Amino acid sequence: MRRAWLVCIAFWASACIASAQKAPALPKELPPYGPLVPFRAPQVMARKLDNGLTLWLVPRPGFPKVALVLATQGGLAADPKDRPGLAELLLATIDQGTTTRSARQIAEGVEAAGGDLTGNALSDYLVAATDVLSSKLSDVLPILADIAQHATFPDSEVELAKRNAADNLRAQEAEPNFLARRALAKAVYGDHPYSVMAPTQESIAATQAAELRREYARRLRPDTSILVAVGDFDAGSLTEAIGKAFGTWKAPAEARTPLVAPPTGQNPHAVFIVPRPGSVQTEFMMAAFAPKEGDADYAAVQVANAIYGGMFGSRLIKNIREDKGYTYSPRAFLSPRRQADLLQTSAAVRNPVTGASFNEINYELNRMATTAPAADELERAQRYLVGIQAIQLQSQMAVAMQLARLWAFGLPPEQLQRESENVQRVTVQDVEAAGQKYFPASRETIVAVGEEKVIRGQLAPFGITMEPAPKPD
Amino acid sequence: MQGRRLMLAVVMLAAAPALAAEGWKVPTAMQRLGNGLVVVVSEDHSAPTFGLCVAYGIGFRLEPEGRTGFAHLFEHMMFEGTPNAPKGVFDQVIEGGGGFTNGDTRYDYTEYIESAPISALDPALWLEADRMKTLDFSPQNLDNQRKVVEEEVRVNVLNQPYGAFEWLDLPQKAFSKYPNAHNFYGNFKDLDAATISDVKSFYERYYAPNNAVLAIAGDVKPEEIFAKVEKYFGSIPMRQVPPRPDVSEPPQTSEHDAVEEDKLAKVPAMAIGYRMPPRNSPDAIVGALVGELLHNGEASLLYQSLVKEKKVALQVAGGVNWPLGSPYEYNGPTLMTSFIVYPNSVKAAELRKAYDEVIRGLATGGASGAELERVRAKMRSDWYGELELPVERASVLAHATLFDGKPDRVNEIPDELAHITPEQVKAFARKYLVPTNRTVIERVPAAGMAQGGR
Repeated sequence: MRRAWLVCIAFWASACIASAQKAPALPKELPPYGPLVPFRAPQVMARKLDNGLTLWLVPRPGFPKVALVLATQGGLAADPKDRPGLAELLLATIDQGTTTRSARQIAEGVEAAGGDLTGNALSDYLVAATDVLSSKLSDVLPILADIAQHATFPDSEVELAKRNAADNLRAQEAEPNFLARRALAKAVYGDHPYSVMAPTQESIAATQAAELRREYARRLRPDTSILVAVGDFDAGSLTEAIGKAFGTWKAPAEARTPLVAPPTGQNPHAVFIVPRPGSVQTEFMMAAFAPKEGDADYAAVQVANAIYGGMFGSRLIKNIREDKGYTYSPRAFLSPRRQADLLQTSAAVRNPVTGASFNEINYELNRMATTAPAADELERAQRYLVGIQAIQLQSQMAVAMQLARLWAFGLPPEQLQRESENVQRVTVQDVEAAGQKYFPASRETIVAVGEEKVIRGQLAPFGITMEPAPKPD
Repeated sequence: MQGRRLMLAVVMLAAAPALAAEGWKVPTAMQRLGNGLVVVVSEDHSAPTFGLCVAYGIGFRLEPEGRTGFAHLFEHMMFEGTPNAPKGVFDQVIEGGGGFTNGDTRYDYTEYIESAPISALDPALWLEADRMKTLDFSPQNLDNQRKVVEEEVRVNVLNQPYGAFEWLDLPQKAFSKYPNAHNFYGNFKDLDAATISDVKSFYERYYAPNNAVLAIAGDVKPEEIFAKVEKYFGSIPMRQVPPRPDVSEPPQTSEHDAVEEDKLAKVPAMAIGYRMPPRNSPDAIVGALVGELLHNGEASLLYQSLVKEKKVALQVAGGVNWPLGSPYEYNGPTLMTSFIVYPNSVKAAELRKAYDEVIRGLATGGASGAELERVRAKMRSDWYGELELPVERASVLAHATLFDGKPDRVNEIPDELAHITPEQVKAFARKYLVPTNRTVIERVPAAGMAQGGR
């Protein structure tokens, strides 16, 4: 199936002058906000089939579609050590034939229901997703169930998928953002399985159809999988239909694959350079370890990040975009995995301001680490985070993807509600403490993709070790 | 082109939609203010939120000569403050209200969107009205946004493999008149030449209430919105908007071909663009369906043939007015585009041959009833998808109203799709999908070019 990015829309906007500590005064005639509407997380009906398959159902009458997400524990981090990125090939071929359906029949069957099946291999889990017309929901369930139980990985399809994966990897390697993300994962996680975010030419070439069949049998099991459905359906009849389609799915006798261990130690403080001749920009991707969802100071870090670079009116964007015009697309975000989380900054800046931009990013990180936020900054960030959660969880697919992720991280559906409440409880002191602990620029691992001479020349004054990015494995 | 924020690539690549027969419709209500501003409301109480779109009837097609990229640069200036609400206020108020805002510039409209919890509705309307009255015409902010836009062009075009050639270069090769055939993102020379008086005159010419549609979807009632919009926008004076020039193209008589060298790409690509009939002409709706039949998803004809059977392509995407909008949202010459990435081991000529066989298949055999049935289901599903989020629904309703004068157009498209016959598909392919009506650009990695890789 085709690769799709998770629905994770990030929004960030413009704002005032960087040197100004205070936000501009509001116009006198501006009407006030109405009463704040509290965030209400989707209500999940959680069930389990006899074979261990978890169901999380969110019936929402009205809009006549249903989002379906089938997720399985064990993603890229669960791939065999000598086959990095195998999960991508597994997903690319899992819908290319079953004992009773050809690849084309599967694609056409899903299309006839109004959908398109997409797959995504994440570090901790695998996802297959589609959204279909609710009137055709019963047509697509048997197809999904068939793929989960009876995929055959025909040799010819595997060969084609391998060739296309090799070329697609070449195509991706031309993109600065891909190079940056891949290098950062390796630089931060070292030998830990989270360091892998894509296959290599070697692993693609070495993978055999028989191996995919083995991995499929080992990993695709009902007792480590979830089916999330969000949309216009009757929960009772859907449960019955799922039971009928997926009830025959049997877990293998062997023990489940254990979770990966949490990474230990610190991420290195150094600049890792990915030379990309011909680049007219330097692409920065920086990260430091941060608390995980569910940890005590997670909400404080979320709020601190919004103030720093997580929304359009944040300090970083005001500074390097709206004041200095160094970049179009700076941003900061959390990059969660089940056993670790990263606080990340990214910006693509034109070559001549590579050093100047890095200086400002460091300044804004250290400002978070050394000073407390203004009270109105804090309030705006909190209101933003609470409101934007409701906005981001309006689509069926966004809800289904979020729920699948929570489940894969071992978190309950109630986590969404809790997070929103935790964000509202964060104080100036909490943000200050989170800033001191997580934001010092000296904690950052830095990847820079672009013209090597430009990067080395302009980053020299910072006195940080510079080295070639580690080779992906 | 994407507005002042980088949204996910998904937004750009989202396949063009369309809708179908029976069932679900979105409610619409419309009113026109005395100053000509059209207000559209779609009530949906499924969540305590709203989506707002103000779309102006000016896009990059009509930006002045010598000022390529100006419509988009101007869009950025709409966020740079007014005498009442200086730079920074807009974002501060919307984000502090728990929402987000953005803008988009396209061929024939420029739109400004907000989505937030309902508690931020009044401030959002006030801010939109404020920037419809006047702007803070600040040279300093223009300089700043010029730099930001140039970085946007670098990050999306100059520093990327393929450089967006499938939508930036293809129209320039396909059409002959400046409005249809210039660099919509802007040459740096033109962006650098833009002055604050350009900003003023563009604003005065096109950003009038009588050249705009304001649409809101979400937890609102039409009467309540009509009253609020009257209150905030009612006093803005109507202005003379220049009449629309003739942007029609002389007929194409031979295939246009070009080969471009790509210094960053490692795998070759090809873009093929066929000129399409005018929007709302009887053939246009058939074109929308044919675009989907060829491009949409793994079951599509091109994917099945080029990627799966003949193994001459890696990825296929495209459609009518793709990737800049749906097949119903243009007001001038437009293309059905196919964008194909293919392996280094495949020659361009092989790919073209395989592509032509798919097109010939449509022109001789048409599409089967079963194929049409599937595509219609997919188009209906995708079109509903476009109308799911309040902010997207507001945007689609605003476009329909701007182009066709009636928001309910979004509910009619499905019926039109439902009546398309296999014969019509065949006839469409014969008339429009012919070499003399198309432009082909081969985009070849520099290394491959040197080795004679074509």
